[in-house]
Amino acid sequence: MATFELYRRSTIGMCLTETLDEMVSNGTLSPELAIQVLVQFDKSMTEALETQVKSKVTIKGHLHTYRFCDNVWTFILQGASFKNEECQENVGKVKIVACDSKLLSQ
Amino acid sequence: MAEQVLEGSQPVDLTKHPSGIVPTLQNIVSTVNLDCKLDLKAIALQARNAEYNPKRFAAVIMRIREPKTTALIFASGKMVCTGAKSEQQSKLAARKYARIIQKLGFPAHFKDFKIQNIVGSCDVKFPIRLEGLSYSHGAFSSYEPELFPGLIYRMKQPKIVLLIFVSGKIVLTGAKVRDETYTAFENIYPVLTEFRKIQQ
Repeated sequence: MATFELYRRSTIGMCLTETLDEMVSNGTLSPELAIQVLVQFDKSMTEALETQVKSKVTIKGHLHTYRFCDNVWTFILQGASFKNEECQENVGKVKIVACDSKLLSQ
Repeated sequence: MAEQVLEGSQPVDLTKHPSGIVPTLQNIVSTVNLDCKLDLKAIALQARNAEYNPKRFAAVIMRIREPKTTALIFASGKMVCTGAKSEQQSKLAARKYARIIQKLGFPAHFKDFKIQNIVGSCDVKFPIRLEGLSYSHGAFSSYEPELFPGLIYRMKQPKIVLLIFVSGKIVLTGAKVRDETYTAFENIYPVLTEFRKIQQ
């Protein structure tokens, strides 16, 4: 199954990448294995978000810019508020990148 | 925006609008030829507020906020601009899109700008007996309430299509210049008064 590499830029993805880099550079891990770990990370993130995350967030803000190209939506919101059941967080500027997970199974 | 006739703010020229009602322009569709081949994917990637899904539609869909319009930009360099409320606004918007394309590095020109359609609407503020109108103007009218609640009136001179609703709201479409919209409305207005519905 194909995967999105989208989540590698998240905090957890960056930490994993850093750790793997370190392990490869000091010789405790082969580069091939490190790549394999990252691919597994992509798969696991997709699966975990699909099956284990039940909470919902609503995002509202002024749509400054949007783009749809290569099946990827990009939105830049200004004065956005993120709301879930428990709390609300306001952000001055936020970029949302969204892919269609249905495309993975094709 | 400045030249738009605001109701009540300006006296209506009764020699031009004997009915005293001036249809409001709602949508202008124009076309222009940028006269150069375009790389749509490059445009979609670089420009803001662009959509490009070649599987669904072979054009980049781009929007600007002022004048609030949408453009369809084709690889051939032809462009369609929709949504403006006046001819000038449509042309200004088309120029802005052309400028965006130029800024992305294409040698865009501004050739053969043309207004293709003008849609106007107004409200005569009295109800209309559509059936009666349809019956006496059978050659021009199509009224099938089971399909569409409005009467479709295909005027021959000027060649304008009017949608006439029981409520007295009128939509006029098919004009290339705004005077055709105005003339069509002045032509139909006496007919509408003739078929005014008397409320019980």
